[in-house]
Amino acid sequence: MNPVVEPKRKRVSFTISTRYRLLLYAAPFLILVLVFSYFPLYGWTYAFFNYRVGFPLFDTEFVGFKWFTSIISNEFQVREIVRVMKNTFGISTLGLITSIFPVIFAILLVEIRTNWYKRVVQTLTTLPNFISWVLVYAIAFMLFSVDSGIINKLMISLGLQSGPVNYLASPDHIWIKMTLWSIWKTLGWSAILYIAAITSIDQELYDAAKVDGAGRFRLMWHITLPGVMSTFFVLLLLSIANFINNGLEQYFVFQNSLNKDSIEVLDLYVYNTGLVGYNFSFATAVSMLKSLVSVFLLFVANQLSKWVRGESII
Amino acid sequence: MKKVKKSLLALLIFALIGSMLAACSSGNNDPKPSASPNSTTSDPETGTEEPAREEITIDVFSMLSNFSGEQTGWFAHALKEKFNVKLNIISSNLEGGGDIKFQSMMAGGDLGDLVVFGDTDSKYLDAIAAGMLLDWTKDGLLDNYGKNMLQNAPKALEKNKAQFGGGTSIYGIGNDVGPETEGPSEAKELNYHPNLRWDLYEQLGRPEINTMEDYLPVLKQMQELQPESDSGKPTYAFSMWADWDGNLMMNTKAWAGMHGYEEGDGFNPGGFTLVSADTEDVQGILDEDSYYMRGLRLYFDANQMGLVDPDSITQNFDEAVNKMRDGQLLFSWFSWFDDAYNTPERMAEGKGFHLVPFNEARSFSNGFNPYGGGRVWAIGSKAEHPERVMEVIDWLYSPEGNMVANYGPEGMMWELKDGKPVLTALGEEAFPSNKTPIPAEFGGGVWDDGRNQINNTTFKNTMINPDNGDPYDYTLWTSTLAKAPTKLEENWRAAMDANTPVEWFTKNNKIAVQKAIYTGQPYVEMSDDMKQKQGQVASVIKEYSWKLIYANDEAHFNQLKEEMISKAKGLGYDEIVEFNKEQHKVVFELRKNS
Repeated sequence: MNPVVEPKRKRVSFTISTRYRLLLYAAPFLILVLVFSYFPLYGWTYAFFNYRVGFPLFDTEFVGFKWFTSIISNEFQVREIVRVMKNTFGISTLGLITSIFPVIFAILLVEIRTNWYKRVVQTLTTLPNFISWVLVYAIAFMLFSVDSGIINKLMISLGLQSGPVNYLASPDHIWIKMTLWSIWKTLGWSAILYIAAITSIDQELYDAAKVDGAGRFRLMWHITLPGVMSTFFVLLLLSIANFINNGLEQYFVFQNSLNKDSIEVLDLYVYNTGLVGYNFSFATAVSMLKSLVSVFLLFVANQLSKWVRGESII
Repeated sequence: MKKVKKSLLALLIFALIGSMLAACSSGNNDPKPSASPNSTTSDPETGTEEPAREEITIDVFSMLSNFSGEQTGWFAHALKEKFNVKLNIISSNLEGGGDIKFQSMMAGGDLGDLVVFGDTDSKYLDAIAAGMLLDWTKDGLLDNYGKNMLQNAPKALEKNKAQFGGGTSIYGIGNDVGPETEGPSEAKELNYHPNLRWDLYEQLGRPEINTMEDYLPVLKQMQELQPESDSGKPTYAFSMWADWDGNLMMNTKAWAGMHGYEEGDGFNPGGFTLVSADTEDVQGILDEDSYYMRGLRLYFDANQMGLVDPDSITQNFDEAVNKMRDGQLLFSWFSWFDDAYNTPERMAEGKGFHLVPFNEARSFSNGFNPYGGGRVWAIGSKAEHPERVMEVIDWLYSPEGNMVANYGPEGMMWELKDGKPVLTALGEEAFPSNKTPIPAEFGGGVWDDGRNQINNTTFKNTMINPDNGDPYDYTLWTSTLAKAPTKLEENWRAAMDANTPVEWFTKNNKIAVQKAIYTGQPYVEMSDDMKQKQGQVASVIKEYSWKLIYANDEAHFNQLKEEMISKAKGLGYDEIVEFNKEQHKVVFELRKNS
């Protein structure tokens, strides 16, 4: 008996039941999530101290909720936050509205019959996505700078302007300008998903519609567009949850004293008060608010999804 | 076969890890890392001879520098020859501006090897408190490697010990160390005084200028006279830069300097007050008639007249200097800012910048200060080779080092004739700051770009160099003074009835000398709470100052001005000013006694 039992026991000790095996497969990703998404929350502790750079955190004074109350304790501080939130929501709303552009672009791109031309257009519009914002600013500087900018030179030589104008410092329509830059940068890249969605539409639908006498625009309107709309809505809902995260880089490179009032979005404000204004703790407190708003927006988006599409995303 | 391969692999890995560990530990424990193993093994016989020193790169974190990257050209060459070191310069002006670079380096726990502070302000105190700076009195560092400082700047060391080192430690040494003499420390030109394109001003018949605002119509006429620069670009009176702004807009504050007022009182760090150099008057910068507010108004009017460079808000100092070089500018707040325009060729033609004072002027002047100024040289506590960094600083505090740091080694720009310094042909061509090529034997490149980019000083250059009996400053050498004046200089002297701007200011009693103060006590620091308020108010003031200048019209200007004042006050401006004023009172008492 014995010699038969032994190998059996060995096998048991070396195999892991399926449930645990799956858990093990997932473990590396769970660890990654923990390390990169939850561990950074430790940084929130800075909001409860009067932190000064260079000193160990626990050597600095513990101040409790001082920084949280100081956000609303002073009328001027409240106005600052309102201004920043206005910019954040304004630019984000423009971003949401213009998120239909990649859909239109994708539909039109698919309609192009000349293959090489289609590829060239797609490549050229996708490339800017891989340029960093710093380089985008360098391009903007080449175009719009006072002394060497092409636009200034052109306008002066055409007699439309009497002297150079500092376009980059102008605070007018800054939300729209920022939105245009980001469309230029991401149009081709965002269209890729929609192009994939379009190619998966059943060809028979088109054939049937053609038999019924539908022209090119009818095909686009009645078949292609509804075909990509579900993809569009999923992405739209996801971007609502991301409403408050406009990122920092773009606004950081374009900001200056003259346009700061209307370009300072929440992320940039946190950077400016923390690193420039010498106040890490206050900046941390403000950025914690951001997380709260994000979570709230996520639930809103989820509810929207339930109403619109009858299914939730989380 | 497979087993053999595996064990071989394991062995290799072990060997690799082992050697890495060994390398780490040897790097940490080696007491003299500067002696490289190569140089000692190559010549084992001569035990007494000093081994050739390993080349090291010193990370210089300078809060004054306008250059970022490796120091090149003749100064790099001189340091390489003398110390076998290279300088990697980290400039907070260029990397984010303001205090951003300082904060991120503090957060990283390493301020580099050689640290240059712009002022003995809270940044300096924080760096000391957080242990980021090296105590020079430890391990005999100062005694062994600081002989020149101990000899030439003992009071500056003493001041740092008493004020910032709790009476025992020394963390740094101030700039512009001078002798104990009364009167202005400047010899020919002051820091702040209005310099205009003298040739154009003369063409206009030298109209009289009473107040600072009176410059505008004159500058407008000058612009009409000279609408284009040498390369065909439009000319402006004022081309400013934002990268030096601290608590306020620097180019606006300059007008206070021309009236004998300065940020801070020479003892406390600057806040939101402008303090008279020699009276007890103090202005809050946002006071209705303060020189700061008048300055903003002046720039606004100037911008309406087309006299302000629209690029001011987006450019940095370097770009402004290039415009000066090209002849795009007509006005300079500083006697040194126009150096780029005043080339020998232009001055010989009678073209160039020179002092055009206004009647209300009382220019700010620093007295000689044996205790050194606020721009501090320090060593980072994480410096790998503190003794070699110390050697470099110490050398800069020697007559030889100071000459090289300013004008290069002997034989390049200058030489000694009968024991006195004389400019060489190259020097004649390259001074003050021209892009003149430098011979390869001195490091190549061009003069201006090869200059010492750390941008801090050691001695006050108007002081006598004990090696040759002439001042360090080449414009004051016996040989330079004996030279026939340029046409520009001749015209100016004839018109102003004085040989130099300082002579003119002194003769007309339009100079305000701030005496050096030393108490042996540290200054009173404001609370953290107030520091934070100061930071917020400063950012409002800076932002709105620039906006005011570019305001669309009078109504817009007034509206922005209201906003600036109410915002600044709402965030605690008054509290800071009160605190500043309290501190100034103490200094005024000390001034009476000194």
